[in-house]
This record gives sequence, C-alpha cells and structure tokens, in this order.
Amino acid sequence: MIARDERSGVLPAHVGVGLRAPHVAEVMATRPAIAFFEVHTENYLGGGPAAAALERLRRDYAVSLHGVGLSLGGADPLDRRHLLRVKRLVERIQPALVSEHLAWSVDGGAYLNHLLPLPYDAMRLHATSLRIEQVQEALGRTILVENPARYLRFRHSPIPEPEFLGELARRTGCGILLDVNNVYVSSRNFDEDPLAYLNAVPAHAIAEIHLAGHATNHADGRTILIDDHGSRVAEPVWDLYRATLARLGPVPTLIEWDTNLPELAVLRDEAARAEQLLLTAQGRAHCVVAE
Amino acid sequence: MSSPSELERDFATALLGGPDEAIITAIQGDGLDPAARVAIYRNHVFVTLTAALEATYPVVVRLVDRRFFAYAADRYIREHPPAGPCLFEYGATLADFLATFPACRHLAYLPDVVRLEWALNRALHAEDAVAIDPRSLAAAPPDEIGRLKLRLHPSVSLLESSWPIDRIWRANQPGEDPEATVSLDAGGARLEVYRLEDDVVFRPVPPSTYAFRQALACELDLQSAAEAARSADPSFDLTDALRELLDDGLIVGASATSPSPKNEGQRCKPTQRPR
Repeated sequence: MIARDERSGVLPAHVGVGLRAPHVAEVMATRPAIAFFEVHTENYLGGGPAAAALERLRRDYAVSLHGVGLSLGGADPLDRRHLLRVKRLVERIQPALVSEHLAWSVDGGAYLNHLLPLPYDAMRLHATSLRIEQVQEALGRTILVENPARYLRFRHSPIPEPEFLGELARRTGCGILLDVNNVYVSSRNFDEDPLAYLNAVPAHAIAEIHLAGHATNHADGRTILIDDHGSRVAEPVWDLYRATLARLGPVPTLIEWDTNLPELAVLRDEAARAEQLLLTAQGRAHCVVAE
Repeated sequence: MSSPSELERDFATALLGGPDEAIITAIQGDGLDPAARVAIYRNHVFVTLTAALEATYPVVVRLVDRRFFAYAADRYIREHPPAGPCLFEYGATLADFLATFPACRHLAYLPDVVRLEWALNRALHAEDAVAIDPRSLAAAPPDEIGRLKLRLHPSVSLLESSWPIDRIWRANQPGEDPEATVSLDAGGARLEVYRLEDDVVFRPVPPSTYAFRQALACELDLQSAAEAARSADPSFDLTDALRELLDDGLIVGASATSPSPKNEGQRCKPTQRPR
C-alpha cells in the first residue's frame, strides 16, 4: 500500500491537469474547478516567483510533483544534491503524490534531458530497486514510478516491462503511475498488445493514470508513434483508458500537454471527458459492491 | 552483454552526436534500422535543449537569427551538455562558448549580451532570501564595521561591458520598433541585475557603486570594498552607500566571518572583455 503523509492529503479519484508555466497566471486568477494539478518538479527547484506561485496554489488544490531528473534506472550514482533539492520542495509543497520515471537521464554527470530506456534484466532490477529505496528513504515517503514511452528495445532485456514495474513495487513498496498513452505508444512501436500489457501490471499498485496525446511519424516505411504530449488524447488511448478503469475502478487521472500547449480550456475539455469515464467506472464499482 | 555503465556511456555518446556503432549492437531493429531508433532519441535531446536555450536567451536569438542560434546551440549542446536536471540552470557557459565560436567572431558585443540575459535568468530563479533589518548594522560597534562581510541577495549580478548592452537588450524587446538601431559606439555599461518582488530588473550604476558592490559580491569586507570604491571615485561615501544598499533590500546577511562561498565565484568573474 501507498503510505500517506497526513499533511499532504491524497489525490482524489478525479481528473487533474498538468500545469505548465503559460497557464499559471490564469489558474491563479480564476481558480478553475480542477481536481488537482501536477507539475514537473525540476521547474520549481529554484527560488523566486515560480516556487512561490506553486506554494500559493497548494493552499487551494491538491498538487502532485512529477520528477524527470532522478534517473532511477541509471548507472551514475544518485545525484545527492538534486535529491536534496527535491526533498526541500516536497517539504515546502506537501504534495499528495511524488512520482518519477522508469528511465535514466544522466551519464558521467551529463544530463541528456530525456527519459531514456534501460534493458530490463535482473541486475538493473536490483539497482533500480535500491535507487527507489534511497529516494523513498530520503523523502520519507513512497513514490510512484511511471512506465516510459519507448522507441527501441534492447537485445538483452529478458524481463517484460509490466513485470519489471510490478517487481519494483513489490520490492520497494513504490506505487505505479500507469501512463496509458505510453503503453499504447510503446506497444504500437513494437507490435505488441497494449491490453495484455495493461493486464500484466499489478492492479493494486497503480495509484495514478496519465493520459496525453502522441504524434505519428513515418520512418523507412514504418509508423513510429512519438509521445510528444502535443495533441488531444487519441481515440485508441481513450479505449484503453476505459478498459483500464473497468479493471481498476476509479483512479486519479491526469491530462498532460507539453508541446503546442493550447488554451487551458482545451485541457479542461479533455479532463471533462476523462471525468465522465471515471464517473461511469465509479457507478460500476458501486454496482459491484451492491451485488 | 555490456555492463550497465558501458551501455549508458555508449548511448549517451550517440545521443550527443558521437558515434552510434557501439549502442546499435545492443538494440533490436524491430523492423527499423537501429540507428533510426537512436536518432529519435537524439532528436528529442537536441530539440528540447535548443528550446531551453532559446527560452533563456530570447534577445540573443533575435540578434543572430533563430537558425544561426540553433546551429550554435547544436555545437554548444555537444560540447557542454547540462550538468544538472533543471533546464533553467542550463546555458551558464554559453557566453564563453560564443566568445570563441568562429562563426560569430564578428559580433564582438554578443558574449556580453549573453551574459546580461544569463544574469536576468539567474536572478529570476535565485534562491529566496530575506533582507536584514537595517538596525542590526547600526548596532555594530563602529570599529568593527570595516571588518564586516555583507552578503548580497542571491539574485544580484554585476556586469561591466565595453558595449551598450543595456540599449541593445531594450531595443530587442517584443513590441520595440524593429527598425530601431543602437550605435555600438554609444559607450559601455555597468549594470546591476537583481530581483524585485516577482520581477527581474537591471539598472546602470556609477563606477564607485559598481566597484563597491562587486567587491562585496566577491566577499571582501566593508573596508576593502570601500577602498575599491574610492579608487573608482575618491568622493565615495561609505555611509551613503550602505544606506542605499539597505534601502534596496539587497543585504541578506552580515557576519565577521566568511559567508559560505557556495553561491559566489560566478559573480566574481571579471565580466569586462577587451574590445
């Protein structure tokens, strides 16, 4: 189970929106009815107006801190300075959730600003588990770990990704952030079955869902989907989301949008669509209880 | 099977534009050339890091044209990838890089404009710090004042240039007349950059104020800072200078011992470059 910090509250089983800098002023001024906001941790590790605005926002909303820089799956030693800064922000903001990625991003001190794939083998399972434990110990709370969007597979990678994630959760007590768009993108890129993937992730460990748009590229006569967070959620991803909710019941869900950021209203529109599906799942969950 | 660090090193090498032979042997094709798969990741690295530099250096982008900036950024990213995960901290060394970049040797003023934009970016994200109570300085015994070291607000940078970088910066703000020109013979600038509430501002400062505050930023004590200021202007008055600093709310610490050197260093680098 996910340990909860009493002061931080929990994410409601409703739909939140990824908050990006161009929308901050509007959100602060209009206080829209959005269940929670998620921000990229690394954008708030300095002082000045950004972190101060997040602190003010936190008074009225549940906030989730979503990190991209801890390189949980990497070979470099854990960046202690970075972890300390994350810890200070967590203490200041008291987020409902802290999440990171099953990926790596730094080699020999050079940060590549990307969530890079790792081979899934026993050695890396052990190393990544230790890394997650180090982070959880430093933060004094469990974190969620997200499945990455992938554009390549390694020749030597004997453990399927959902199993690798499930084993990380079992060993460390971390939760899983299931990015349904990433499941779709990766599965399509390797001609795998996304439903089989979804069903292989341990349901009890999933504490949040991400939804986003992707781009369709063509390379050498092959279609490659790119997780660019630059459009509305695609119809097949909505279908997978429905299937996920049917399996899990209602789970806090986030709409993410990063490139070609539209008006906040478009994100709220996407959130409303997801909320409808969540309500349906909620109704179904109640029916199950009534039976 | 390669060891964890070898695989990451091979991948990182390919992502930063180096050879990709080593990493592609570890990758499954899945119907596509493995090199094309690596290229998807490499493209993301360069696109997003270039965008981060563009966001930090909008005036430089305008001055050199977006395509040239992307070309220079590509070289910069290969040679100086980020040393940390926060994008707002990336690009601190771009000025030094461009100062020796052959393709913009003819733009002698450019590195100093880069320094100004970096100082503005740095000020925006600098750690928060609370100004000291002016009475705490007044309470110090007069014979000990000279040995005090003052800590300036972390957002403060002092910049000196032989070029009119302040005018160049202002003329290249959105909404300014695109036809307006700045004469490069308009004279140099001594500027102080700092954060005021939620905004970052800069202003020209006289030579003695510049010398005084620069000396404080370099952790000299008040007496030495005052001497530096007097050599720039013999009429420098320490009491007035201290009052100004306190009124500006830019002193965030005072001690008889050396403050932590962690935040310094960068501010003490000489910013003047020969014309």
